[in-house]
Amino acid sequence: MSTTSGAGSNATASAGTAPNAVEIAGLRKVFNANKANAVEALVDVDLTIAPGEFVSLIGPSGCGKSTLLRLIANLLDPTSGTVLVNGKPAAQARQDQDYGMAFQQSGLFEWRSVVRNIELPLELKGWGKAERRARAHEMLELVKLGDFAGHMPWQLSGGMQQRVAIARALAAHPPLLLMDEPFGALDEMTREHMQAELLQICARTSTTVVFVTHSIPEAVYLSNRVVVMSPRPGRITEIIDVDLGSDRDEDTREATEFYGRITAVREALRGIEMGAGPRGIEDR
Amino acid sequence: MIHRLRRAAMFVVAMLLVVALWEGYKAIGPAKGGDVLGFGILPRTNDQVMPHVWSMVTGLFDPAQRQGDQTVLSVVLGGAWYSFRIALVGFAGGVAGGMAIAVVLTRFRLAERAILPYLVISQTVPLIALAPLVAGWGGKLQIGDWVWPKWMSAAVLGAFLAFFPVAVGTLRGLKSPNAASLELMDSLAASWWRTLVKLRFPSAVPYIVPALKLGGAGAVVGVVVAEISTGLKGGIGRLIIEYSRQATSEPTKVFTSIFGAALLGLTMAAIVACIDLALMRNRPKESAS
Repeated sequence: MSTTSGAGSNATASAGTAPNAVEIAGLRKVFNANKANAVEALVDVDLTIAPGEFVSLIGPSGCGKSTLLRLIANLLDPTSGTVLVNGKPAAQARQDQDYGMAFQQSGLFEWRSVVRNIELPLELKGWGKAERRARAHEMLELVKLGDFAGHMPWQLSGGMQQRVAIARALAAHPPLLLMDEPFGALDEMTREHMQAELLQICARTSTTVVFVTHSIPEAVYLSNRVVVMSPRPGRITEIIDVDLGSDRDEDTREATEFYGRITAVREALRGIEMGAGPRGIEDR
Repeated sequence: MIHRLRRAAMFVVAMLLVVALWEGYKAIGPAKGGDVLGFGILPRTNDQVMPHVWSMVTGLFDPAQRQGDQTVLSVVLGGAWYSFRIALVGFAGGVAGGMAIAVVLTRFRLAERAILPYLVISQTVPLIALAPLVAGWGGKLQIGDWVWPKWMSAAVLGAFLAFFPVAVGTLRGLKSPNAASLELMDSLAASWWRTLVKLRFPSAVPYIVPALKLGGAGAVVGVVVAEISTGLKGGIGRLIIEYSRQATSEPTKVFTSIFGAALLGLTMAAIVACIDLALMRNRPKESAS
């Protein structure tokens, strides 16, 4: 498996002694192991992600991409194989809050104001009140919601809520950001806007991102590498490098190279043997 | 503001309606009761059974004893105040106990299946039967210099009725957070205890508030019934019994004691309403979302 080939501008970051952001070897996950209804969710997964890289996981429903993300997050335990995050076992990385996480549902606490939602990870880390407040406001500026600190989550639009969720995930400045279809519930316009902003935020904070999505253009636009997965059992079938440079903007979406990569991902997905053809993949 | 005024006005209108119904029936109903198709279901309307509303009100200002300057009103208010304090203790105890049970049942899945049926059964035991038992056990309790006060038995029975809705409501609420929120707390390496405090309890508030309303009413009923069946003196329950015995000579008196009991219930409801307002401010309104 190529480790840094697609990292492009990030190759320099990984050249030093810094540990890989994510290192997965021989990973296998079986749900309901040793029971009649055992399901092989993932087999033979090897994947290494360099610091600063943006990697998308894409594949039809049931290919185990969310499971893979949860294994990296240590929300699930692997049946066999190892997951290292930041050079540590995943469990240790979770204890140390080495990653932040954002889900399709923003998952904001409705009883907390925007700023107090962002403070949550810092509270759990035991930060003092003044420090927390200062950092939360800094994060709000980063996601361009500086004027909404005192608002309650239900007073915000879906896109704004998702931005708060990203600010919360990044509040403790984790080196790694795990995202499970964070823009899946947003309309197309908001979605493209959020994608551009996510890239800016990641560039500014030099955060590594693992991003689960159903959308081919989203994966191509955002990523240095797109990991294509297939179901039954869930595994990695192909890893596609996306060399669109580091400063992508709205023009990138109209570049020939962009369409070339979309076609490459689409063909990789089409190549998946699954009888009825790929389901659950959006072409938009 | 207008909304609140309207609600206050509706309350007054409802009161007047009850008075009008009472007086209306008294005016047209048969004085010695009547039969409908052979069943004696029409209540008598004489002053003995259905005194005029105004004589109930003026009855409040009669002296409570033949010789003495304490009015019925002050005796009733005193009794209601006495019972109210016991009910508050019972309510607080019931809420604390109910929440504690809910936390334990949330923590230990197995305990839920083992304990929950007993909680349900506990509520089918008639309070009247339980009250003398609790009073009997309490009477034997003495820890050092501290002796179980008699009123404590009434508070315990109030708590007994209050804890159940609170336990059930809190239990549902503690289980209400969705998988994503729980995963978020997991991803932040939050312990079970901190997840309880930062996620489960706040999520449970919308379930706890209606449970408190039921619990508050339960505490009042428990205390009043316990006063009657354990013969505890000084409270409104005892007063209702005392005054109904005097109904032949002073028919309005028993109604004044019922006013006191109603006032007690309303005060408890008001306290719970204040808790509701305090806890639910800054929450999404039902119309939003």
